[in-house]
Amino acid sequence: MKKFSKIYTALIMLFLFAPILILLVFSFNEGKSLSVFSGFSLNWYVELFKDAETLGAVRNTLVLAFSASIISTIMGTAAAVGINKLRNKYLRATMDTVTNIPMINPDIITGISLMLMFVFVGRLFGAATSLSFVTMLIAHITFCLPYVILQVLPKLQQMDKALPEAAMDLGCTPLRAFFKVELPEILPGIVTGMIMAFTLSLDDFVISYFTSGNGFQTLPIRIYNMTKKTVTPKMYALATIIFFVILALLIISNIIESSDEATAKPTKERKKASRHSKIIAGSLGGILVAGMLGVLIFNSGKTQVLNVYNWGEYISDGSEDSLDTIKAFEEYCFENYGMKVKVNYSTFASNEDMFAKLSSGAVSFDVVIPSDYMIARMRDNDMLLPLDFSNIPNYQYINENFHGLYYDPDDLYTVPYTYGIIGVMYNANVVDEADVGSWDLLWNEKYKGDILQFNNSRDAFGTAMYKLGLDVNDPDHAVWDRALEELKEQYPLVKSYVMDEIFNMMESGEAAAAAYYAGDYFTIMDNQAENVDLRFYYPEPTNYFVDAMCIPSCCQNKELAEIFINFMLSPEPAIANAEYIYYACPNSLVYENEGYIEDMGEEAMEILYPELGNFKELYNHYAYRSLSEETLNYVTSLWETLKIN
Amino acid sequence: MNKKSNSLVQRITLLPYSVWATLFILVPLAFVAYYAFTDSDFNFTMDNVMRFFTATSMVDDGETVREVHTYLLIFGRSLKLAVISTAICLVMGYPLAYIMARSKDRTQKIMVTLIMIPMWMNFLIRTYAWMTILQDTGILNGILGMLGLGKLSIIGTEAAVVIGMVYDYFPYMVVPIYSVMAKMDVRLLEAARDLGCPGISVLRRVVWPLSLPGVISGITMVLIPSVSTFYISQKLGNGKFYLIGDAIEGQYVANNLHFAAAIAFILMVILLVCMALMRKLANRKLIVA
Repeated sequence: MKKFSKIYTALIMLFLFAPILILLVFSFNEGKSLSVFSGFSLNWYVELFKDAETLGAVRNTLVLAFSASIISTIMGTAAAVGINKLRNKYLRATMDTVTNIPMINPDIITGISLMLMFVFVGRLFGAATSLSFVTMLIAHITFCLPYVILQVLPKLQQMDKALPEAAMDLGCTPLRAFFKVELPEILPGIVTGMIMAFTLSLDDFVISYFTSGNGFQTLPIRIYNMTKKTVTPKMYALATIIFFVILALLIISNIIESSDEATAKPTKERKKASRHSKIIAGSLGGILVAGMLGVLIFNSGKTQVLNVYNWGEYISDGSEDSLDTIKAFEEYCFENYGMKVKVNYSTFASNEDMFAKLSSGAVSFDVVIPSDYMIARMRDNDMLLPLDFSNIPNYQYINENFHGLYYDPDDLYTVPYTYGIIGVMYNANVVDEADVGSWDLLWNEKYKGDILQFNNSRDAFGTAMYKLGLDVNDPDHAVWDRALEELKEQYPLVKSYVMDEIFNMMESGEAAAAAYYAGDYFTIMDNQAENVDLRFYYPEPTNYFVDAMCIPSCCQNKELAEIFINFMLSPEPAIANAEYIYYACPNSLVYENEGYIEDMGEEAMEILYPELGNFKELYNHYAYRSLSEETLNYVTSLWETLKIN
Repeated sequence: MNKKSNSLVQRITLLPYSVWATLFILVPLAFVAYYAFTDSDFNFTMDNVMRFFTATSMVDDGETVREVHTYLLIFGRSLKLAVISTAICLVMGYPLAYIMARSKDRTQKIMVTLIMIPMWMNFLIRTYAWMTILQDTGILNGILGMLGLGKLSIIGTEAAVVIGMVYDYFPYMVVPIYSVMAKMDVRLLEAARDLGCPGISVLRRVVWPLSLPGVISGITMVLIPSVSTFYISQKLGNGKFYLIGDAIEGQYVANNLHFAAAIAFILMVILLVCMALMRKLANRKLIVA
């Protein structure tokens, strides 16, 4: 029996720690891949400490978790004391039920319900931003509270009720009696509750996802939004560090405890334990106050704030010795304008994700970088401000072909950032050359279970529509129905519907063929495993896209936003961004730069910059356009139909 | 005097929480209902709720084409996966909780921490690590290949989604059961044995009924998040498992706030009814036992 329990426990621990072991091993990977180990290196740890955005997200996560756990612990403890004193049966039952709600409600509902309320109230009062650090803090406190209450309440019930009464009979004020008698008794419950609250807040993604707003993004949200470049071992390095910090803390507290147990007499034990809890609580509080002060000091002074909203991993961020664009801009402002500028950089996972947040009216950004069809939709909804091009002299370097595109025919609202074409990549070790060249490869029965398809409705339907020669912007339902039939036919052949997962799956040879954005092919090729031989081609016809910088109507600092846009067009940041993202750049300072051409290499230049001659024509013909609400709803429901096949 | 101050204390301690709970627990839920029963101009409508029950789509399973209720089917699938995951968590977690409760104080503490540690790693990163393990060219198949055991194709199947759910929510099952068991009076078990009750019967007739409150809160805490998850299904299900959480998130991203609220509202009502029924059933069982 003893042996059985040991083996059983060991097996469960293996299950619990296997993924953590994987994290640990791959954090030392030399290459970028999360599935192919190419050699030992400490590179990702170096990268991690150079990545200001990620470290900022870690700081945000910790500040939020500390604040939420401490406030919910204080309020929850007080609430537990009050609930415990309730004698009215109905009142008591009501309190219990209300306390239980956040625990038995799925977090997605808690998140949505709070978001709906914040947005509604924000609109009512005409606030520019209703989602912020404060709303996230409120949300976190709300879901932490019940856990604290349910930890403290049983301790109160176990306590001898005569104790505080005795103290008061002996002349203690109720307050003094509480702090001197009750508090030490229930302290273990409070500490457990606080630790639980801290853990839950730290790990929460869903509720934060719905209630996050301007500039304050936590680590889980940052990771979720890494759809443009996928998660790198840098994140594993971060997880590994967290793991060892926790382990160290636990070992230290264990050592202190056991040495205490050895020396303390049994009667003193409780006192000692409570002293330790006090030390823990005190140090947590200290760190919190320091953190809050840090944030305050950081944001004080005459600092101007610029809120930028961009795709995840869509800017050169200082990793791998690249330029830290955001930091460079802050320095640029100080040197050239004498302004202290703080950029709040936030990321989104998709155009639709960005639009949902922006159109809720709950956030306010100064610069956003969406794709063409979403820009058109924003323009149609009066969500964009015309740019003052006298603040953006570098606009002159934008290639002629990118003037007057359909989403901004008079060049009033946008400055193109990147552009690209959707192509097909395949593993030449698996796929016959005879089968490549067109969209048919993605519908080829021979590669059943080796094909990847986009996990977003617009691009997935796009592949089917280009294949069938249909118009991707047709409002006619019958056209979309036809495309759905094609996707349904492809469904059994598809291994996976992917966005950023494509990086790992193509690199490791897990899948053999996929359509994706041209630039990403090179990122993937750089990391391919030894037994993989990736190639790339453009099927005809295909999608052309442009992502452009624009200023949304909720902008609070338009001039600074224009300075930012202009800065992004200047040689150093523009080249750094183009090299980092690997997408084609419409800026002549970039694509004519010799250093850039050399860095990219011949193949990349050929694929990324096919003759620009008739680009405008092809673009205006094949690019996605904004669909009506009605058509979008129809496509969403078709997409659901495909997914439940 | 004492009584008066007592009620004063009560008021002071309860007031902040009561206000908070009203503003941030009850009012938001009212907003979900409000959005669920209104259209984009905030006029009353039943359309959103009706759409959940009536929307249909054609499903082609290779041989026959049938018409199914889209959202009922999605909900059914989510429930099925969640129930399987919860059952596995219970079967795996119950013995562990028992073993923990019966070990030395020191060991108990260490084991609780060990079970909690994975929760400190980020949930999204944990799920990514499982992708690395389970994919066809992943670690698991690498190990199986070295042992000459062939290959398993797990990622993208129900099994992968269930593994992800079990892994993420396992601590929520073990900890409540363990804390109830740790408080259990050992003398009761000894008494049962002394009176000639065989080992299995002690478990069935003494330990199990006494641990029931822990089991119920464990089931609640695993079932609820697994029925509504949307990240695990996207990553480990190869994007082929569209669960009710995905539907809510999908409608939110598609900017259909009112329909997203309607799905959330219906999900909430169904879960609340289920939980109430389960508690009632368990209470009756407790009395019978």
